[in-house]
Amino acid sequence: MLKSYFPVVIFILLGAGVGTAFTLLNNVLGPRRPNPVKREPYECGLPSEVKRNFRFGISFYLIAMLFILFDIEVIFLYPVAIQLKALGTFALVETVVFIALLLVGFVFVWRRGALEWR
Amino acid sequence: MTTLLIAAAKAPVIDYKGISPLFAVAGGAVIVLMAALIRGRFAQRVLVPFLTVGALGAAIGLSIWNWHTGDSRPIVEGALAIDPLALGLSLLFYITGLATVAFAWRSRALRESGTGEFFGLMLGSIAGMTILGSAENLITLFVGIELLSIPLYVMCASDVRRETSLESGLKYLVIGSVGSATLLYGLALIYGATGHTGFAEINNAIGNSVNLTDPLLLTGIALAAAGLAFKASVAPFHAWTPDVYEGAPTPVTAFMAVATKTAAFAVILRFFLEALVSAQEQWAPALAALAVITIIVGNVGAIAQNSLKRMLAWSGVAQAGYMLAGVVVGTQLGLQATAFYLAMYLFMNLAAFGVVIARERVSEHGDGLKSLEGLGSASPLLAWPMTIAMLSLAGFPATAGFIGKFYLISAAVDGNWAWLGVMIVVGSMLSLVYYLRVIAVMWMTPLKIELPGRPRRARREVQPVAGWSPEADPRAQPEVLLVTLIMAAATIFFGIVPSPLFHLAHDVGTSISALFS
Amino acid sequence: MNVTWYLVLSAFIFAMGAAGVLTRRNPLVVLLCLELMLNAGNLALIAFSRMWGNADGQIFALVVMVVAACEVVVGLGIIVGIFRRRIPEDVDALSELRG
Repeated sequence: MLKSYFPVVIFILLGAGVGTAFTLLNNVLGPRRPNPVKREPYECGLPSEVKRNFRFGISFYLIAMLFILFDIEVIFLYPVAIQLKALGTFALVETVVFIALLLVGFVFVWRRGALEWR
Repeated sequence: MTTLLIAAAKAPVIDYKGISPLFAVAGGAVIVLMAALIRGRFAQRVLVPFLTVGALGAAIGLSIWNWHTGDSRPIVEGALAIDPLALGLSLLFYITGLATVAFAWRSRALRESGTGEFFGLMLGSIAGMTILGSAENLITLFVGIELLSIPLYVMCASDVRRETSLESGLKYLVIGSVGSATLLYGLALIYGATGHTGFAEINNAIGNSVNLTDPLLLTGIALAAAGLAFKASVAPFHAWTPDVYEGAPTPVTAFMAVATKTAAFAVILRFFLEALVSAQEQWAPALAALAVITIIVGNVGAIAQNSLKRMLAWSGVAQAGYMLAGVVVGTQLGLQATAFYLAMYLFMNLAAFGVVIARERVSEHGDGLKSLEGLGSASPLLAWPMTIAMLSLAGFPATAGFIGKFYLISAAVDGNWAWLGVMIVVGSMLSLVYYLRVIAVMWMTPLKIELPGRPRRARREVQPVAGWSPEADPRAQPEVLLVTLIMAAATIFFGIVPSPLFHLAHDVGTSISALFS
Repeated sequence: MNVTWYLVLSAFIFAMGAAGVLTRRNPLVVLLCLELMLNAGNLALIAFSRMWGNADGQIFALVVMVVAACEVVVGLGIIVGIFRRRIPEDVDALSELRG
């Protein structure tokens, strides 16, 4: 019973070990040239002090909207994923068609330059 | 439980012949979207519209190929079915789509938003309408109505540099979504009351396992009716109509006024006459009240309008009231009359919008009533279709509108709703005030010579040809003129020889055999 | 667990969303309230699905989630369009002073 959880334990240990090792090694070996911008907490590339007349770039909205769309479509894969054996080949074909349609959307967005940062 | 799951999990039976019109439209949308990526004038001006027309033409052909009389035939098990009602109304959607391609071809909205985007969205919206027309299930109903609405919100906002267009898009989005959410909540309650999402199962459950006065069911019907009334712009849920119609680019307004209204009525017919027909005595009085309010509000609202688009919006509200009367009756005759009126409505409205579009591009008054001044002597080719459309909308004899109204009234009388028939007559008389005003402006005001090539809007819309004169203006946009003339001719033709459409309407009436004949 | 409580909650959320749509002026908040209304429907669907022991309601809810996302994205797109139009920051708005 407990034996079946053994891989999980190994995984946790390995993850923690590698993470700690990289952080420590970075502190020991890495060059240190601090400047004010580097000392600020990292917030997805935005300045952390928000002035009153501050505005988000349009690009943030664009990318966020595209993300919402492609992210939420994955929800349709979920029922298929949990019932794939019962649903059989038909569901597989249907899923491929669905992803192909998403791909069309992606190609359109990409070629129209909506993914370029402006 | 396991057996149930496995039974439900088997692949659905799909009739690929029956679903082919939907594939044509939806596949067309994808192809058009991809073609939009090709750069160059040829691709944008010729290839993309050509592909759109091809997809719609293929869908028309496939629908005719599928035509059969009698009861519905499932095409996707438990989700979609085709019958003459679905096929006949989808023909109307495709014809409107073709007309919209012609109307939009030279419009500024198309240049601003991109040809491929505009037509791709339009095809997506038409795919939603097709789904809506053949929905057999609450889920497909909702998917259809959203697939129809969401592209339409974008199309309304497609003239992206004009603030009124963006505003109308946002307004339509907010109000349309309120309608969708109300509809969804109603559908959820109906599902809660009956335990089913299929129309046939719901109808079986009502009156058997579910009490007719079940509060859950009644609230659900009321909310769903309100949500659908938003979409069909039935009063008192119509307030968005004039604003959105006015702000949207005129080709989109024409598309909305005809196709969206037809789709909304397709789903109203199907939902009430197929899923809820056992509860007819519960909903019929409520819908009858809505119909009366709509007829009065629409006709009174239209009287004071000076913008043609607003006037047509209010008139569309009133026409929705007439058609709702056909739904209320709830007999096969009522179904036939409503379907017949929807076809007539397409002809006369597209003729009217064609004239508005043609005038709007050259006149300094835009879509104001003044843009029609002196049109009778300046360009009779535009004045006559408008005259015919107005007379037909008012219900003059020898026009399609007269036959349609006559059909509706006789269905109402036949189904013991004579007072609703009287309301239709009263509404038509009221409507004469504003329809005749348009005709008077065209034929009775003297022609003012507009300076050739000067009108401010004309510069961007249509390049004035050399030696431009008022007489020449309709010929500068032959595709709009052509569609307008065809629609006006159809209005007259079916006003005099309605029997071919009677036959079709009769076929449509047989789609729902459960109805009292 | 009685399904009534879920229904009461969902009706409350629906009413809250409807009230917000009617009274708020900020388009972003209106979009938020629309989401509330749609998700109230979702909650009711899932509660009923549980009550009847069939999966129809859950499938419906999945579909509604996607639809809601699409609506919000279109709404945001139009709002961004309006803001871009109102703020004379883009170069196109500065075309009046050409010689």
